[in-house]
Amino acid sequence: MNYRSMVLVSGDPRSMERGAREIYDQFQREINALELENEVSLAWMQDVGRSDAVPLAVVYPEATIYGPLKLEDVHTIVEEHLYKGRIAPGLQAPVRELSGHIAWISARQGTLPAEQRIILKRAGLIDPTSIEDYIADDGYQALANILANMQPKEVIDQIKASGLRGRGGAGFPTGLKWQFVASTPGEQKYVICNADESEPGTFKDRVLIEGDPHAIVEAMAIAAYAVGADEGYFYVRGEYLLAQKRLRLAIQQAEEMGLLGEDILGSGFNFKLHVHSGAGAYICGEETALIESLEGKRGEPRARPPYPTTNGLWGKPTLVNNVETLANIPPIMLNGADWYRGYGTEKSPGTKVCTILGNVNVTGLIEVPMGITLREIISIYGKGMAHGAHFKMAQTGGSSGSVIPSTLQDTPMDFESYQENGVSLGSGALLICDENNCALDLAIVLMNFFRKESCGKCNPCRIGTERAYQILKNIAEGVGTMQDLEDLKFLSKNLIELSNCGLGTTAGTPLENILQYFMPEVEAHIKLKVCPTGVCPMSGKKAYPKTKLVQLEQA
Amino acid sequence: MVHITIDGKEIQVPEGTTVLRAAEQADIHIPTLCDHPALTPFGGCRLCLVDVKGARTLQTSCTLPATDNMVVTTDNERIREARKFVLTLLFSERNHFCPYCQVSGGDCELQNAAYEQDMTHWPLQPNWNKYDLDASHEYFILEQDRCILCRRCVRACGELIGNFTLGVEERGADSSIVADLGVPLGESTCISCGACVQVCPTGALIDKKSAYLGHEVQLDKTESICIGCSLGCGIDIYSRDNRLVRIEGNWDASVNHGVLCKVGRYLPHEAENWDRIYTPMVRKDGKLKAATWEDAINAVADQLKQSSRTAAMASTRLPAESLYLFKQLFGDKLQADTVTSIEEGANTKLAAQLAADLGSPFEGSLSELEKADCVLVLGADLVEDHEVASFFIKRNVPHGTRVISAGCAENAIADIADVVLKPSGDNYDNLIQALSAALADKPVTALAKAAGVDEAAVKEAARILAAANFPAIVYGEALLKNASLNTLKALVELGHLSGAIGEQRNALVSVKGKANSMAAAQYGLEQAMEISDEQAVFIALGDDCPSQKLIKRLENVPFIAVQASYSSQLTAHANVVLPVTDWTEQEGSYLNLDGRLQTAVQPIAAPEGVLTNAAVLEKLAAALGYHLDAAGWKDELLKRVPVAIITE
Amino acid sequence: MTPDNMNVLEVVRGVVEEHGGKAEELIPILNDVNRTIGYLPKEALEEIGRLVKTPKSKVSSVATFYTMMTTKPRGRHVIQFCESAPCHVAGGREVWLAIQDQLGLEDGETSEDGKWTLITASCLGLCGVGPIMLVDEDMYGNVTPSQVPEILARYS
Repeated sequence: MNYRSMVLVSGDPRSMERGAREIYDQFQREINALELENEVSLAWMQDVGRSDAVPLAVVYPEATIYGPLKLEDVHTIVEEHLYKGRIAPGLQAPVRELSGHIAWISARQGTLPAEQRIILKRAGLIDPTSIEDYIADDGYQALANILANMQPKEVIDQIKASGLRGRGGAGFPTGLKWQFVASTPGEQKYVICNADESEPGTFKDRVLIEGDPHAIVEAMAIAAYAVGADEGYFYVRGEYLLAQKRLRLAIQQAEEMGLLGEDILGSGFNFKLHVHSGAGAYICGEETALIESLEGKRGEPRARPPYPTTNGLWGKPTLVNNVETLANIPPIMLNGADWYRGYGTEKSPGTKVCTILGNVNVTGLIEVPMGITLREIISIYGKGMAHGAHFKMAQTGGSSGSVIPSTLQDTPMDFESYQENGVSLGSGALLICDENNCALDLAIVLMNFFRKESCGKCNPCRIGTERAYQILKNIAEGVGTMQDLEDLKFLSKNLIELSNCGLGTTAGTPLENILQYFMPEVEAHIKLKVCPTGVCPMSGKKAYPKTKLVQLEQA
Repeated sequence: MVHITIDGKEIQVPEGTTVLRAAEQADIHIPTLCDHPALTPFGGCRLCLVDVKGARTLQTSCTLPATDNMVVTTDNERIREARKFVLTLLFSERNHFCPYCQVSGGDCELQNAAYEQDMTHWPLQPNWNKYDLDASHEYFILEQDRCILCRRCVRACGELIGNFTLGVEERGADSSIVADLGVPLGESTCISCGACVQVCPTGALIDKKSAYLGHEVQLDKTESICIGCSLGCGIDIYSRDNRLVRIEGNWDASVNHGVLCKVGRYLPHEAENWDRIYTPMVRKDGKLKAATWEDAINAVADQLKQSSRTAAMASTRLPAESLYLFKQLFGDKLQADTVTSIEEGANTKLAAQLAADLGSPFEGSLSELEKADCVLVLGADLVEDHEVASFFIKRNVPHGTRVISAGCAENAIADIADVVLKPSGDNYDNLIQALSAALADKPVTALAKAAGVDEAAVKEAARILAAANFPAIVYGEALLKNASLNTLKALVELGHLSGAIGEQRNALVSVKGKANSMAAAQYGLEQAMEISDEQAVFIALGDDCPSQKLIKRLENVPFIAVQASYSSQLTAHANVVLPVTDWTEQEGSYLNLDGRLQTAVQPIAAPEGVLTNAAVLEKLAAALGYHLDAAGWKDELLKRVPVAIITE
Repeated sequence: MTPDNMNVLEVVRGVVEEHGGKAEELIPILNDVNRTIGYLPKEALEEIGRLVKTPKSKVSSVATFYTMMTTKPRGRHVIQFCESAPCHVAGGREVWLAIQDQLGLEDGETSEDGKWTLITASCLGLCGVGPIMLVDEDMYGNVTPSQVPEILARYS
């Protein structure tokens, strides 16, 4: 059924107390009365963190929150919003500070074409603080089955057969990684869930953990069993306090039920999970930097080889997987590798959680099969460019991803196709920019991010990002030279080639892309001292953020 | 073993060797900056990048372990471009004003690396930020403008010394070398060992005293040993125009592997402020007057001939050859009532006695301390008197080494100890027996009480010792002060029980006293000096400083003759003063605390008119009509059963 | 905001004890102390180093590495403004300028009266509703420049 709109009514206890049931029924009556039942879907929704506005209803795709609702409001909403297509006046919930829940309010049930929810099946729809909710939806079945009937090697074989690849950005075959750790000799091994999600534009892991923490807990237990670990850590970024809280609760609940701890389900398998908080460092998303941070040190990536699979936490074989990668594990183990291969492409099976951001009509989180194109995503899910503007460039994969021009809009979004075209898929964050965004300005914002997040260990990144930032600022302020372009190319190329870790490498990538695809625009800043989009400070707008740069004499 | 090919050369190296070290073995040069052979690899400067067949990106050879059949290229276009990039960036990061820097022109590793890559200018301009200069430290300067954040200093302070004063604050482009919580070096926990200065590749850390006194190629280098204490650390003495410029640790020396303490590195410069004695002096009419060597020597000889009681004391800073002459003259020939060293056997007599009784050495090697996973320190203030030994312990604490400190006085080692025991009354007998009892599962209560220590602490200490695989025991003067032969016997037993002394190893060591403490012991110079109504006292002081205590003891002695390098209250009070060379102006042999016989090599020519300690003693002997044997010093040294095996 | 010396040490001891006094728990310990006191005063760093047997330079080195910890006192209310690309593209510049206009502060500065500290932050993981600003632990999304005065007015 292809619905064009969706109404979600809050069904948490407080809402029910205040008449949510009646409101829901009224919605149904009103929708039927206007013969919209084939166009508008209606569903229940759990706690969205707006207890000040319950009972409430959220209308998609606009994600408009109406509340607190009285029974008579329902008619207005259906007539104005669903029938006539405009926001019903005076009924919207007041602007308020968001609680952490708001980020996943857009994790709605798939009603739009091509969206397939495997990972986000439950997020936003079940009570994340209830282990019973999870179990009711086949939760912990996979783990129970594995412990009773499968050997670790069989688990790894199944993951390998599924073709699952890492979803944190690197795309490394998951089954292979598990095998490396499993085959490294050692009494003590660890599994780590990398929940340090700090890639700009990425909040999928937050949604997953806040909305469906048990899925990840179960996945960790499965991973530990497969590789031979008995201890695991969630490394959650320090800013995600709610996620940490939800995980701790989930772990406690699982322990109470005997699904974690000693002799799980009587199988003899022991597994203890800890939640460890980060403290504000993007670099700690890098495997070895994460491990350093877990050990109580500065998050500086180690020299590799050796890799964590042989020499990780406290020098022991360690498996590090991203949250989204892990979220795929229970479904694969429940439904089989072949089922999983039914989604996505041959070399990149499965789905990917992407975030659509920027100048499109609808932003948010979607789960799509690998292989969909950017154009499809923008038109179907983003509902087209906002304000009728035209697509200019997009950054795929967060700030460390590639900046692609419109010519690459039709390239399938899977690891291979993107690699062939010299661009990377990364974490799935898609930042769509239109003709009102300046390519140079974007480069500055990106380079600023990298120089602030650089750990400082290796020269190319520590000095290169700072140098590139200052040169870009010079150009934006109208004092750039053509030599600066040569310097930028020199810096970006070597950043990519010579850095110690991915941060330095991916700091150079977007810069290289921008210089490759948007050179005329950048040159205009230098040769004509003009910013074509009117964004850069030379056009008279205040510089942002304030620069510490000293004006250099022109040669 | 692993087979690896570098630039076409096939070599075999043990597993775990890095590509950089393998290349060094094959005499292939790879430029480096953050790497240092004595420190763990860092991999930050990216200068040592090499091309490994099959690897997509260039790899840092300093961290990359060599694997079987690895094929490495160390020089090609790609690598040269990479090196130029790294150096370009480094010069653009901070303010490298080469013309003003003391290491510019050959001693700067950054500059040398750039020249090696045929660089002639900086392709990228710096941003001319302001960086700080910290000149608050007594001995060196930290000039942030020149720092390349290679972190050698941080690693040295932590890995080699275990002091962890230096660290890196902030991250990214704001990274900066800092002391403690960000205080000036002069107010920090720095112990002035100078390891950071020695490893710094640029002029970021500069030794104040030797700055601008010459490039390394202009200096004379003499490999010698420090005689600041009984450890005998290997040093490189840099001198120029017969002047001491700088002392550095010798990385190849077996005792210290390149680290030094303040005493060995910086204190020798203090001598520049002391009054040097250049001419013999004889007291006439109550005043010391310059005299000829002949007159001075005769004055001493005459007095010695007529004195009914004489005492002779030699500093343990004197070389063994001189001590041998001293012993012959005052002991064998003159048969003085007291022939001893300035330590008067306090550090060695008892142990020597035990060795004689046992008929064999019973102490082990200091090098065991470097590998120990548990160290029991009894009655020795390592930090104060034998600081480099304390480095071996401090730097291993982060690797799990446990420390038990048993001492009567406040002790810096106690700060890092797991268990601190303070036996009462300066007496260690009961404590040692309590520990042994605990190790043997025997009752501890009474012994602990007698020792004045907490029983639980003793048991904890014993538990830690028992759990250790490589325990070590270090003891010193404070323990020996009120000890008896039985104390030492009990200590040896504790050594066996704890595993410090075993079939394959012996890790029981006493720190002894000053440089030639052990040689003095071997020559039997260990008497306590009696000076109730001495008529003549001869002190072969050398360049030592007399203690206030000694000066007081000699107050009423009617005749004192001193051979010394520097003026002191003692020389001012003496009847005859004979000028001698100081440690840099003489050559000689030294026996360190665990029996290593080493040679101190002379870097500086002695001033005109000043004689060596040996020469003075020989002159004196001649004046008394004696002939002294010089050659037999070594045989005599080896005669007595030593407390530790003597090696060369 | 200068906390009483005695309280600092008490807070530190409590937090260290909660984490079992282990040296590898340094980061969670620093985090918790920072959150309780508002920043990490020198006495706190020294005491932490002493209790978990870690050298001062290491404690400081770790504390200054992470952005969630600060060794400088902050205002009563801390505004963190996301300056990463998604929020920027969604109109972040204008909101930032509005905040700067209203408070007259540059990035990293604290107001004279000690009420506000304004800092830019890297992506906070709320990109779907950018531009984002955090005031203490309150998150504001889809912020427009006109909403800035209203939001700031809520804090005393």
